Amino acid sequence: MTTAAPLVEFHDVTVAYGRRPVLWNIDLTISEPCLFGIVGPNGAGKSTLLKAALGLVPLAGGEVRLFGEPLDRVRRRVGYVPQRETVDWDFPVSVMDVVLMGTYSRVGWLRRPGAAERAVARESLARVGLEDLAGRQIGRLSGGQQQRVFLARALAQQADVYFLDEPMAGVDARSQEQILTVLSGLRELGKLVIVVHHDLRAVTDWFDAVALIDMRLVATGPTRETLTPDNLRRTYAGAVDVLDEVGRAVQRRSRTP
Amino acid sequence: MTWPVDSVACSPFMAAIDLSGLLAYNTLIVAAGTAAVGCAAGVVGSLSVLRKRALVGDAAAHVTLVGVATAFALTGRRDLPTLLIGGFVAALAGLLALVLIRRLTRTRDDAATAIVLSVGFGGGIALVAGMTARGIPGSAGLENFLLGHTAALTARDAGMLAGVSVATVAVVMLLLKEATLVAFDRSFAAAAGWPVTVLDYVLVMLVAVMVVVGLPAAGAVLVTALVVIPPVAARQWTDRLGTMLVLAGLIGLVSAVAGVAISAIVPRLATGPVIVLVAAAIFAVSVLAARWRRGREIVRQPA
Repeated sequence: MTTAAPLVEFHDVTVAYGRRPVLWNIDLTISEPCLFGIVGPNGAGKSTLLKAALGLVPLAGGEVRLFGEPLDRVRRRVGYVPQRETVDWDFPVSVMDVVLMGTYSRVGWLRRPGAAERAVARESLARVGLEDLAGRQIGRLSGGQQQRVFLARALAQQADVYFLDEPMAGVDARSQEQILTVLSGLRELGKLVIVVHHDLRAVTDWFDAVALIDMRLVATGPTRETLTPDNLRRTYAGAVDVLDEVGRAVQRRSRTP
Repeated sequence: MTWPVDSVACSPFMAAIDLSGLLAYNTLIVAAGTAAVGCAAGVVGSLSVLRKRALVGDAAAHVTLVGVATAFALTGRRDLPTLLIGGFVAALAGLLALVLIRRLTRTRDDAATAIVLSVGFGGGIALVAGMTARGIPGSAGLENFLLGHTAALTARDAGMLAGVSVATVAVVMLLLKEATLVAFDRSFAAAAGWPVTVLDYVLVMLVAVMVVVGLPAAGAVLVTALVVIPPVAARQWTDRLGTMLVLAGLIGLVSAVAGVAISAIVPRLATGPVIVLVAAAIFAVSVLAARWRRGREIVRQPA
């Protein structure tokens, strides 16, 4: 990482599903390793923004650069945790099998993961506290454990930038804590961790910086300066009850130094 | 039209139940070839079922009938390779039609599959019936591709079917890691840079190959069962993909051999229905065994 290029840049990114635009002219640059939250109401295009960064949805306009390069040159440096509901947890694979999938890009075509990859996978599992469940079929885990398996798979990718789509959705308190510990650990290692997150309450505690999104980029910057009542009102224009709750939470926090 | 009637059954040797037919050299060769087909269909089908593409194979299977009939009409030949190549080309055309209908008309997956399946099959039936009605020589044999009829196979045919089956399984084994990744988590695979669309097409092609190779054994109507039932039955016994592939192969093999054997003993019985019934019986036993197993597990670990 000798280049001074920003880690992630969105330039004027527009995405449409059919004729319905879901993201308009997003300009967003993240230069420093940190825990970065993407926050906004339902249907705001948060997940789509991640998918745009990962090349999973076609861009109607604009471009995304990672480490100053187009995505295809740097895919090995990118880790991804999709939403948990996107896969079939009845699939006949073990926890270990899934975590090993994180090493497949390095293993390459036709070859099978070897001892080195197994060691990486075991270490990743230990970091999320699931080393004892390596042999278990993935459907026999709790939601929080499944989410941690996905996180371990991303760790096994040994990336520099991690994209996580709703990693806290439907997760028990213990798993939540464990996931946060792992993510903070990644930040300490100089990695950038970008998290799509729906629940505003914990945002100030977790993220160093945020982007507020409602189809457009409403505001971005350090969390405390960005989560102003005004910005929140503009982001959650329709959802009044959410606003009230968050307004109170933010006020409470600004009173306690 | 009397589709299921076995034309060879009219020969004096097969007039009654005849066990000696079972041990005839040709029957043994055909049984071996069909066993390879059943085994390969179970293995390839496992990935297709896990990728949730079982119905796509069914559409391809029904469309093959048009191809078989067209190949006969165009070339006048009725050797197995010619007819099966026709069937394969039709299957590919059907899959292409499926993709186009989905892309261009906003029709959903299931509806598009149903359209391709029924149109392809209807066209095939019309062609076969038309040629049979005009008494075109050899056209009556095409009915064998409807429900399967292994007694008409030669040793060479069986060898070819086995060869293609082995090659197909070899490709699956080579690409097992990639195919599993795409079947389990397509978006993760795409984000990691794997060509998921290409891999999807490869898997569909392999299924199309197996469906075509399975035609002589089970016919256009029933060959899907050979690709779908063994994997689903195998899944009941195990949570491991490797074990599931082996079991699906074994169940496919047993079903296919049983089909050949029973239809060789019982006159006027097509192979396909027997294969399907044996596979279904194994499936039923598997489901019951899995329930019993799970019930015991719950008793053992009350947590």
